[in-house]
Amino acid sequence: MELVKLSDYLWEIPKTGAMLVPGRVYASAKMIDDMREDPALTQVANVACLPGIVGYSLAMPDIHWGYGFPIGGVAAVDGDEGVISPGGVGYDINCGVRLARTHLPFSFVESRIDRLADALFAKIPAGIGSSGAIPGLSIDQLKEVVSEGAQWALRNGYATKRDLEHTEEGGRLAGADPDRVSERAYQRGAKQLGTLGSGNHFLELGRVDEIYDSRLADALGLEVGHVTVMIHSGSRGLGHQTCDDYLKVVGSAMARYEIALPDRQLAAVPISSPEGRAYLGAMAAAANFAWCNRQVMMHLAEQALLETLAIAPRELSFALVYDVCHNIAKFEEHSVAGHRRRVCVHRKGATRAFGPGHPALPEALRPLGQPVLIPGDMGRYSFVLVGRETAMRETFGSSCHGAGRLMSRMKAKKEAGGRDLNAELKRRGVTVRAHSRAGIAEEMPYAYKDVADVVEVMEAAGITRRVARLKPFAVIKG
Amino acid sequence: MSDKTTTTQSADAPLFREFEHTGDRGIELTAPTRVELFRRAVVALASLLVEVAGAAATEQRLIVVEAENDADLMHDLLTELLQIFMVEGFIWCDASVEEADRALRVTVHGEPFDPTRHAFHGEIKAVTYHQLTVEKSPDGWRARIILDV
Repeated sequence: MELVKLSDYLWEIPKTGAMLVPGRVYASAKMIDDMREDPALTQVANVACLPGIVGYSLAMPDIHWGYGFPIGGVAAVDGDEGVISPGGVGYDINCGVRLARTHLPFSFVESRIDRLADALFAKIPAGIGSSGAIPGLSIDQLKEVVSEGAQWALRNGYATKRDLEHTEEGGRLAGADPDRVSERAYQRGAKQLGTLGSGNHFLELGRVDEIYDSRLADALGLEVGHVTVMIHSGSRGLGHQTCDDYLKVVGSAMARYEIALPDRQLAAVPISSPEGRAYLGAMAAAANFAWCNRQVMMHLAEQALLETLAIAPRELSFALVYDVCHNIAKFEEHSVAGHRRRVCVHRKGATRAFGPGHPALPEALRPLGQPVLIPGDMGRYSFVLVGRETAMRETFGSSCHGAGRLMSRMKAKKEAGGRDLNAELKRRGVTVRAHSRAGIAEEMPYAYKDVADVVEVMEAAGITRRVARLKPFAVIKG
Repeated sequence: MSDKTTTTQSADAPLFREFEHTGDRGIELTAPTRVELFRRAVVALASLLVEVAGAAATEQRLIVVEAENDADLMHDLLTELLQIFMVEGFIWCDASVEEADRALRVTVHGEPFDPTRHAFHGEIKAVTYHQLTVEKSPDGWRARIILDV
């Protein structure tokens, strides 16, 4: 794969063959060396073939091999003439991250970490073979959830108005069409509202261990030493099945629109086609399920903290910092070659990172730029960033979404061998509760890149600014 | 490319080989016949979800899938089984497969999933179409499947 260096942190894949635009990869020289043999770069070039794509097929520094799109890929297509690709959103529609802060100093909980981990593990189900805090919902109830998103949680006592203000899109993506979600998808979601899932999903207790910008940290309520709660999860089986349903619909409709793409998993149809509109309605519905899911889990986590520590809500002072999604397609206005255009931005393992002053941000956060939450591996640290103006000019207001895997799951398990992984993490100051050993083995710190390197590239490229670093001390895995 | 082989209670030969995929899980299967390939894929899926050695064949479920090609048959069959595991909470330890033109009749033998007896390995979100192949090889049949986890 030919790569042209544009700066220390930006590389271009020249337009060749069926590519409609060049590819651009944000990465350090070392990262580029590591990824030269990875199929992810070919996937960046494949995405550049999507009809209607504008600007560049973009890759963030946490890019790795996905299915169809690379994980860490961003593609904006013309909002009217372009195509929508379910694979460009992924199976876990609106997989995302939320962060809550408390006013509890770490010293207050230090002697009770095991009890806290047990309480969270008991309160927040993984979703398979466990009964959720919310009993199985009927299809009619699920239709309310997918129409209302986090507003359903507010209406049912799992959220505050402030929570919704601090959630991307207010926790409800417009255009959701509950009738476009299949019965099979509803069946898979029926018992999964308020459940974490497995794989790389987690709930993590951490503490703020470094502040990079005190003005921004103050504005977000982050103080050194204070306890935080981070949740990474998505739309669960309802979203997975929705993606699968529409890959089939879109895949068989493509020929009618004379669309041919290098990878079947990239299947796409015109946004304006009946199939495209149906997918967008179903995708928004699944996205709303995900926001409601994360909101319910955060409420359960707050309850677990209050009960275990036997303190009053005022002492805990639990508040959502922000909630971001990193698997989505959204209609936004961006400047393309000097002209404002309505585009549909696919973010597959990439986070929206709007700069200061953007009208989509709530009033309280608008002067700061959008908070961007970047979890690292469970042994190191995670970052809170904010979006900058450069992101609006260069990446359709997008940034990275995590550390990015260094090792396959298979290699990570092999590496784990007969090791006592819980003890190893404990030595790093992290208490883990998980439903399976494999769940820990595949997610061990050595399986991931150092998220600090990923974040540094985004900062050096002017896309995001670091606000704070969080260090985990208890992790719940599905 | 390194590999790992897995066997189950009901198969003496290695059931599948896992291949490197950065974020997800890739498996490669071979079998002397087309029917045996699908059977192995069905049992392989169960062994990726849970420790099947602890499962008993006390109940069965019948799945009938029809598709235009073998790759789609594989996708639809395994997706149907994921639904049975996720929604019905049923796990299988063996399967029998019959073929008829473009359709497959698959009976899976197992029991209700019980996390205290069937160690859970982690969710599988979906069977992807990415590089999905089912083909005849010089030695029999071969499939390559990437699962989103």
